[in-house]
Amino acid sequence: MLWLNLLLNGIVWGCALGMVAVSFSLIFATTRFFHVAHAAVYGLGGYITWSALKHGLPEWAALVVGVAVCAAVGAAIQKLLYERLDRSGATHLVILIASLGLSAVMQNGVAAIYTSNILQFGLPWGNRTTTIGGALLTNTQLLTVVFGLASYAGAMWFAHRTVLGKRMRAVASNPFLAEITRLQPRQVHVAVMAIGSAMVCIPGVLVPLDLGLQPFGGVPILLTATIAVIAGGVGSITGAFLLAVVIAVLQNLSLLIMPGEWSIGITFGIFVIFMLFRPRGLFSS
Amino acid sequence: MDFLTTYIALAEIYVLLGLSTNLLVGIVGIFSVSQAAVFGVGAYLTAFLLMHSSTPFPLAILLSAALCILLNIIVTLPSLRVSGDYFVVTSFGIQLLATAVFTNWTGGTGGANGLPGVPAPILFGHEFIEPTEFMLLSTIGMALGCLCFWLIMRAPFGALLRAIREDELAVAALGKSVLRAKVSAAALAGAFAGSAGGLYATFLSFIDPSSFDLDASILLLTMVVVGGARTLAGSVIGPFVLLALPQILALIDIPTTIAAAARQLIYGLLLIVFMLFRPQGLLGEKL
Repeated sequence: MLWLNLLLNGIVWGCALGMVAVSFSLIFATTRFFHVAHAAVYGLGGYITWSALKHGLPEWAALVVGVAVCAAVGAAIQKLLYERLDRSGATHLVILIASLGLSAVMQNGVAAIYTSNILQFGLPWGNRTTTIGGALLTNTQLLTVVFGLASYAGAMWFAHRTVLGKRMRAVASNPFLAEITRLQPRQVHVAVMAIGSAMVCIPGVLVPLDLGLQPFGGVPILLTATIAVIAGGVGSITGAFLLAVVIAVLQNLSLLIMPGEWSIGITFGIFVIFMLFRPRGLFSS
Repeated sequence: MDFLTTYIALAEIYVLLGLSTNLLVGIVGIFSVSQAAVFGVGAYLTAFLLMHSSTPFPLAILLSAALCILLNIIVTLPSLRVSGDYFVVTSFGIQLLATAVFTNWTGGTGGANGLPGVPAPILFGHEFIEPTEFMLLSTIGMALGCLCFWLIMRAPFGALLRAIREDELAVAALGKSVLRAKVSAAALAGAFAGSAGGLYATFLSFIDPSSFDLDASILLLTMVVVGGARTLAGSVIGPFVLLALPQILALIDIPTTIAAAARQLIYGLLLIVFMLFRPQGLLGEKL
């Protein structure tokens, strides 16, 4: 039964990873900036929610506070940093270096305020278990699956059914044409950064519910999510989510044959295989 | 006195690393955040050879450089196939993978506890154990690296590398081999990083994974960016400025628990500020 538990763990973990991947995919496909600081926004969301909880807010309100703060931070990053750099004609390399710097500032800022020790949410309902088909799942895990699927559906609905979503896809597919048809790409970029940052707050809270908060936990998660985005095909929400689940399941099943420290090797191996045989990704148009 | 010489010797080692990063990121335009990993491999191999075999010091450095040349070529090769942003992912992945190997391969690297007791370098029967003596070695290393970098930048090969950064297609259309130029640049950067690693391990006589992690790669990048990318002067001044920073911070009263985070935070802030207001760094060219 070990493999069944690992499979389920993989799917749960894949839903969390999928939310990171979908949010990064929205941002990357639209702005084309490699937003490394997304990892830091992910971390920030958890800490803000934790603080709100400790100030006595109920769980749902704390999550709302976290999501709102992340959205504001995302919009501010776009408006105050990336847009400025972009206007001054900075190359992608310059923006990337600035993003890396921002990521270091945010993560170490969090570490300086909250210390780098692991913080626990300590919510008793999170560890209560339900049995589904012979496998044990905690409430946190169930919640992760529910939120994961909801985020995926929400992102699909947003991209295909709303006016802003259509503008976003227009900007993603042809920025120049979007500019001259007054779709105002810069506004779209800010909106997409806000939405993506809001979305990444949810796994930023759900994953630490089980594992505890760490200031530097975001980088490997973002890297794995980015690999899912690229392997799934940049711009494809379905591809990003699906590949995130596949990678997470493979990571978990690999525990059957090798110790967990090396799971980054599995992830990276998948990336190399894609780069060699299908660099455009599975679901690219 | 020891304090000053230690600072200078370390900064000189980092100049070699800065040259390696500058060559890839600044000159050729391959964005690499994994130079610290290559540096680490050089350090661990030298340490291993000196501790577990009777390899003489110069040979250990040469072997480290050779391994890092090979490694850096392999690491950089994906940049031929995947461009720009995709290579960033590759580079991040390699860095995290290297950290996993350094931390978990206890047999070879001592794991998270690191390798203590790396012997001091012995050259012509003399043991370079004092920082003042070691400074001689690191100065020679740095001078050789700078000379090499300077000669290449003057040569047609340097112009070819810069041209690749500006327009790879045009270079290929002129009948030049982009592949050969990139591989040579990667090999040279690997040699710099590998020998810097060997010097680092023998100088500190103790190495652990924390010197070669993602933060270290970001520090390297900060050094190049603050000093100024694309120029020799920039790569030299960057490490000296950045390594002086922790000493200045030590004068300000920061609780020790957050000192490491504060330092890393300032490196990040420097990256942002320089990118916003002075992308050419102190003595460099515009990125």
